[in-house]
Amino acid sequence: MTSTLHKEEMILNLGPQHPSTHGVFRLVVTLDGEQIVDADPVIGYLHRGTEKLAEGLQYTQIIPYTDRMDYLAAMLNNYALVHAVEYALDLEIPDRAEYLRMIVMELNRVASHMVFIGTYLLDLGAMSPFLYAFIERENIVELFNEICGARLTYNYMRIGGVKWDATPDWIDKVRRLVPMLREKVKMIDNLVSGNEIFLNRVRGIGKFTKEEALNYSLSGVNLRSTGFRFDLRKVRPYGIYDRFDFDVIVGENGDALDRYTCRLREIEQSLRIVEQAASQIPEGPVMGKVPKMIRVPAGEYYASIEGARGELGAYIVSDGKDKPYRLKFHRPSFVNLQILRKLLIGQNVANLIAILGAVDIVLGEVDG
Amino acid sequence: MFAWQNTPMTGLHLLGIIIGAIIVLLLVLITVMYEILAQRKFIGWIQRRIGPNRVGPWGLLQTAADVLKLLIKEDVIPAKADRAMFSIAPIIAFVPAFMVLALVPYTMNHVFTAGMNVGVLFYIALSSVSIIGFVLGGWASNNKYSLVGGMRSAAQMISYEIPMGMSILGVVMIAGSMNITTIVADQSHSQFGWYIIPQIIGFIVFLIAGIAELNWTPFDLPEAESELVAGYFTEYSGFRFAFYMLSEYVYLFAFAALATSLFLGGWNGPILPGWLWFAIKSALIVLLLFWVQATMPRMRGDQLMSFAWKVLIPVSLFNILLTGLLSLFV
Amino acid sequence: MFGFLKGMGITIRQLPTKKVTLMYPNERPQWPERFRGVHEYIPELCIVCYQCARICPTSCISLSGARDDNKKMRIETYDINFEICILCNLCTEVCPTNSIRMTSQFELAEYTRDGLYKNMDWLYHNHVEHGSFRAMQAEKERAAREELEMPVQQKSDDRGGDK
Repeated sequence: MTSTLHKEEMILNLGPQHPSTHGVFRLVVTLDGEQIVDADPVIGYLHRGTEKLAEGLQYTQIIPYTDRMDYLAAMLNNYALVHAVEYALDLEIPDRAEYLRMIVMELNRVASHMVFIGTYLLDLGAMSPFLYAFIERENIVELFNEICGARLTYNYMRIGGVKWDATPDWIDKVRRLVPMLREKVKMIDNLVSGNEIFLNRVRGIGKFTKEEALNYSLSGVNLRSTGFRFDLRKVRPYGIYDRFDFDVIVGENGDALDRYTCRLREIEQSLRIVEQAASQIPEGPVMGKVPKMIRVPAGEYYASIEGARGELGAYIVSDGKDKPYRLKFHRPSFVNLQILRKLLIGQNVANLIAILGAVDIVLGEVDG
Repeated sequence: MFAWQNTPMTGLHLLGIIIGAIIVLLLVLITVMYEILAQRKFIGWIQRRIGPNRVGPWGLLQTAADVLKLLIKEDVIPAKADRAMFSIAPIIAFVPAFMVLALVPYTMNHVFTAGMNVGVLFYIALSSVSIIGFVLGGWASNNKYSLVGGMRSAAQMISYEIPMGMSILGVVMIAGSMNITTIVADQSHSQFGWYIIPQIIGFIVFLIAGIAELNWTPFDLPEAESELVAGYFTEYSGFRFAFYMLSEYVYLFAFAALATSLFLGGWNGPILPGWLWFAIKSALIVLLLFWVQATMPRMRGDQLMSFAWKVLIPVSLFNILLTGLLSLFV
Repeated sequence: MFGFLKGMGITIRQLPTKKVTLMYPNERPQWPERFRGVHEYIPELCIVCYQCARICPTSCISLSGARDDNKKMRIETYDINFEICILCNLCTEVCPTNSIRMTSQFELAEYTRDGLYKNMDWLYHNHVEHGSFRAMQAEKERAAREELEMPVQQKSDDRGGDK
């Protein structure tokens, strides 16, 4: 008997209010059963027009806005802008300020990766690692709270240095925290990394090659997981990264598991930097000589740093005034998101979550 | 009055049956109430939190407050839902959950237990009726997440019914009876002791299949929060949602009771009274499930299926073979 | 094969560890000194220089002042719109007399959006309730006591700010 079964594709709106889209991200997927036929990311629900707002603001005033882009790694965002302006002005930064910046940035990277590990495992259905990761992240956030008075939107860096010097025992606290974090990261690693269910769930999915990653202009862990050794901290050392000894972590297969383990191992490298910086930090001022009114000379400047999610750049077009003529942020989450459609087609809904989670987007950064 | 199982039915017997049913119902409601609290507390402690502690001392009345809240909530039926099916689905899911409790032998003098000769079969049959409630709820909600959740639930529960049934078969073969009370009684004087000893493979298969039947982590795909929001009961709220929730936790209790009866010797145990042994053993099984829930990530649908068909069913078949050899030679 | 058992061991080992929950409304968080909470405002110190309003990235501060009998600028109104304030601390950074500061107060829930529009009275009240009022009072008393003890000719008037 031959009969044709009536089949219909189903359009499913994932988000913007969905537990695992990590914010207000909408994904319109066309499903054939549980198979994804097409996926269309819809972004912009968190768009605040940072770049446009920046055109009406002085450079110092823009810094608190950068906090709100990648809110999981606000220190790195602060630095991206401040670094670009300093590069344009060719400023001399005091050593102590540079060291403080390195410490807070790398700690922030650790905190950001912690959130990734927690939420990723939560997406995959494991509840406890999420809380363990957040408990450990809390230590870092508390340290930030102590040095700059905020737990999430730090507004800590200024053009020419940092706003506050460390409190007397802050550096000691950092030194004490590093081994503890190391131990806890190991614990979280042990908790899931041997779990067969987890490994089967993420191994081999969301796979892309080195060439594809480069074609899609991916950066950060998404690029390194394919085995491409590209880390701006090594390739084009900015700040004082050339003074520290650390490794660039690369993966092999470029699948979701590799991206997970890369981030896990990157925490260890960041902790190494923090450890070195905390032991070498000199005394001295934390603010360099900066003109009272910061005017970037007319021209175009681009400086980028290795953010928690990839190459985080600030592109300044200045006409010589105290406000930028145009300020463009190269936001890694936004760029990394572009490959999502390609990764999703042909997968099923359960893999969708695992793939989306592994790309690690932060909606504040995607929408800008 | 309570000897209705082996004497002709009279009016007094009917009264006894009704009283018995009400007592079991209340017992189960209280058990479920504290089961939910225990889950939240236990998982909370594992996650370095303290769990609910605001309502009543140590949060003892938390579940009561939650249920009360659900009962007085507005009863929302989505406009595009199939009203009749939407209302009836939670009941279909919920009634069998309570019915299987008739089989549970809490103590040696089991006045409230139906000493049914097909007890094990009855459990399996009834628990598969609940699937209809889940699928129907998913379908009637007219929500895509619910639909996918309901379908997953059906696929999963039907697949795992088979290894579950086959793992029980080993016990049935040794005991020579499908009557749960007989099986428990048999374990007190069996040459093997509790059936977990000769049936360790069967017990493990039973446990895994049972966890899958319960939609419990790591097999909680039908209600996978991070994928399907809440699965088949996404659209449900108020007391209909409470029915789904209740049936889930009643099944959890029923599963623990069944595992205790079939493999862990039921009420058998030294010194302590029988009902306490039963409570301790089933509580340990429930805690084990909570512990698993706190640790495990979720499985993926296709892996779940292949695990059932390629691993569990062959293993349980092998277990039946082993049991056959065992009862032949020992 | 049994890698998940390791995970189970780790979770069960967390059972007796110290819990991290803060019993929030009963137990208050201990904020560090630099914590950037809701502003406090001290009208006596303000010289109406408009620097805070100018630096504010979201323009949430509005103020007005007038010259009093001594030809000194006196503040008349001072409002902060906490609907758009991002607590970035730039206003306190530029204030030459430290008349706008940040407290460790962090609760700012209101039933209406208008309720988040805080005026000078509220900010001063916040200064008294949660801010540095007590510390300043103690400081003043100490200074007054020292002044009494000190001989008159050694008194130096370096508490600037009035120009």
